[in-house]
Order: sequence, then structure tokens, then C-alpha cells
Amino acid sequence: MRLKLISCEVLFREMCDSCAHSAHQVDLEFLPKGLHDLGGKPMAAKIQETVDRIPEGVYDAILLGYGLCGNGLDGLTARHTRLVLPRAHDCIALLMGSRERYQQYFDGNPGTFYRSTGWLERGKGLQQLTHQTLGLDEPLEALIRKYGEDNGRYLYGEMTRYRSQYAKLTFIETGLEAGGKFLAEAAAEAKENGWSFERLRGDLAWLRRLVDGEWPPAGFVIAEPGQRLAASYDALVVKVQA
Amino acid sequence: MPDLEQLKQALIEGNWKTAAAATQAALAEGVAPLTIVTKHLVPAMDEVGRLFECEEYFVPEMLLSARAMKASMEIVRPLLAASGAEPVGRVVIGTVKGDLHDIGKNLVAAMLEGGGFEVIDLGADVAPELFTEAAAARNANLVALSALLTVTMPSMRTTIDAFRAAGLREKVKIMVGGAPVTQQYADAIGADGYSDSAGSAVALARKLVAA
Repeated sequence: MRLKLISCEVLFREMCDSCAHSAHQVDLEFLPKGLHDLGGKPMAAKIQETVDRIPEGVYDAILLGYGLCGNGLDGLTARHTRLVLPRAHDCIALLMGSRERYQQYFDGNPGTFYRSTGWLERGKGLQQLTHQTLGLDEPLEALIRKYGEDNGRYLYGEMTRYRSQYAKLTFIETGLEAGGKFLAEAAAEAKENGWSFERLRGDLAWLRRLVDGEWPPAGFVIAEPGQRLAASYDALVVKVQA
Repeated sequence: MPDLEQLKQALIEGNWKTAAAATQAALAEGVAPLTIVTKHLVPAMDEVGRLFECEEYFVPEMLLSARAMKASMEIVRPLLAASGAEPVGRVVIGTVKGDLHDIGKNLVAAMLEGGGFEVIDLGADVAPELFTEAAAARNANLVALSALLTVTMPSMRTTIDAFRAAGLREKVKIMVGGAPVTQQYADAIGADGYSDSAGSAVALARKLVAA
């Protein structure tokens, strides 16, 4: 098959690796991590724009390197080429290799911050993209400059209070981490925030199936031309609508 | 009255010290605590909500206005209780089980209090039974649930089920919100209302308790 993959850049290394091993020819396009900060509807609109630029008759399917991602994939419509989306809430599920494993881990480990290669090295220094985002990356000095000493410190406290609410940083390793820099960075971030640190073995099987053209219904939803993807509000995460 | 105009401005501009001082001054001049809430805090917070809706105010500005509002309420709240004034409604609010995100929820809680509600804030990662227990114990007539992740949204459904199981579903109205939540989802789980922002949450809350 000839396949087009549109993926979040957070999965860059994992997707490149999976595509390199695929029997199929896969054209890759990565979109910025910052889309996630725009909110569901604007993110879906941006992804739709990308889908709509794909020429007709070239690809057997358009693969989406995403999960539902806070409804960022909700409403995405297949034009002339079918869309294939993993039944995942988000990329953390994809990196863990299954819906069930993610749900179990998530439920058993409240207050966990997740990191992977992409979450560590991609999308740094993003500008606040919309008034809906919190600007969590604003440094203290910038807040003081804008709002004064007292209010600046207060806002910094509010924006960073999550650090005391989270208990753990879990670093998902898929075996693609060259050298020790990712592990070291994740461990340092955990230490800096006073969180415990866990190394979790990820599983690329789900991503590999996506680009290998193996799309069992339990793991993937397929939107044929004219159909749209939608949040299903159940264990299957996403569904298609006519 | 200059103090009350100053109070309104301080709330809108997010100046908590001026808000507190103006509140004290107004009380000293004999303005009733309830008047301060209904005639000044409520319209000021409505204005802040409007500024957010039309994208003049962002989350930081909202947080600062909420801070100023809280400073004013710190002073007024005990006096309201002492005077026997009834709140517009009693709302139990929290972020559902599994979800730690609370900034949006905190904003809604502040807006509701500025809007004349008695607010029982349970924090984040709140189990269904904590919601039902608090609602029963505090005689709440409104419950507000927040979630920021699609993976924790199912907890909204289990929380509503818990109210039904506890025989409390008829006693409260339940509203839901948070970035991935939709009207469709609210309908699917049997919630009484959904709002997509802190500003419109107060209007919805008022409508639900009046019904």
C-alpha cells in the first residue's frame, strides 16, 4: 500500500522508526505539538486543513498518528481517502501499546506526569497560542513584568501549583532512546519537582500496526470517504458517523 | 458611592488590596453585606466573564479578578452568615476522580461565589461518594463537575450514578464542564446542564437553581 501518515511531532522518533520497518511506502508529515494547546475544535480544524491538502488517488489510506487528543480529532472528515485512527485517548496510550494498559495504569497511578522522547525534546518555548491556554511556561520574571511583583508572584504560584499536586513522573521508554540523555532529563525533572520517578517500558506494537496496515476494529477506527470521526464516550473512545 | 465604584474597578482590574480596602470602607459606611455582593460583586464578576468571552481577558486576568473577589468575600462572608442572608444556591464543586486539573474549576468556584452562591469546593480527584456525602451534609442544591481529560470524563457518569444510587438525584441539579466536555456528553450522561466557560457557568447555575 501507499500510505500517508499525519502525526503529532511528539511521536516523531517512534513514528519514523515504525515507518522505516513497514513493508508499505509511508509518506510522513508531522504537525506541531502546540495544536494540543489550541483546544479541540481549533485543533480539529487544523488537522482537517492538512487532510484536505492531500491529493486524491495517491494514497490507499491516510493514517493519523494521534488519539482523540482532547477532541482534537473529533469531527475530522474523510474526503476522498479513508482515514485510520487508533482508538486511543491520547499519545500516552499509544506509547503504552494498548487502551487497557493505559486505563489500568492511569487509574492506578493518579497524579502522574508522563514523559517520552517527544515530550522531552519537542515543542519547547511555545508561545501562548490562545486565550484558552494557561501559559504554564511563563517564567516568573515575565509575569512580574506584566502584572507587578505581588500579582506576578501570585500567578506564578497558581500556574505552578500543579507541581505539588502531581506525585510522580513516569518516563515511557520504547527502546529508541539513544544514549542516556532522555532518561537523565526525565529523572532531573522529577527531582526538580519533588516527584517520584518511574521508568515504564513502552510498547510500539500499536504504532507499528498502524503503519503496517493492520487495523483490527478493536484497536482502530476507519472513516470511509464522507464519514467523520467522533468521540464515542465509551470504552472504544472513537466512532464513525455518516 | 465612590467606594463601591472603586470596589468594582478593583475587582475588574484584579487589585485585591484595593478590593479589600474598598469593601471595608463600604461596610464602615453602613452598606449591607448582601448589597455589596448582589449590587457590586455580581455585576463586576459578570463583566469579567464578558471580557473573557470576548477575548480581552485571558486566564491570568481571570485569576487576578478571582483573587480580588475572594479578598472581598473573606470580609463579607462571615457577615452574610451572621445576618442570616440566604445564598442564591449551595453548590458542591470539584474535579472528578482521576483528574488533578483545577485551575478552571477554581475560576468557576470563584465566579459562583462572586455570583452569590455558597460554594463547597472539594478540590480535585474527587471520588463520587465524596460528592454525594458533601451534597447531603451541606444541603446543596447544585453540583458542578469538572474534567480536563477525555480519559477521566467517565468519572462524571459514575458520579451522577452515585447520586442516583444514594437517592439524591432529585435533590440536586448537576452541571458539567471542562475543555473536552460537550453538550452532547452532558446529555448522554444525564447532566442537567453544560457550559463552556467560567463566565457562562454562573448564568447556567442561576438558571438551574431557579428552576
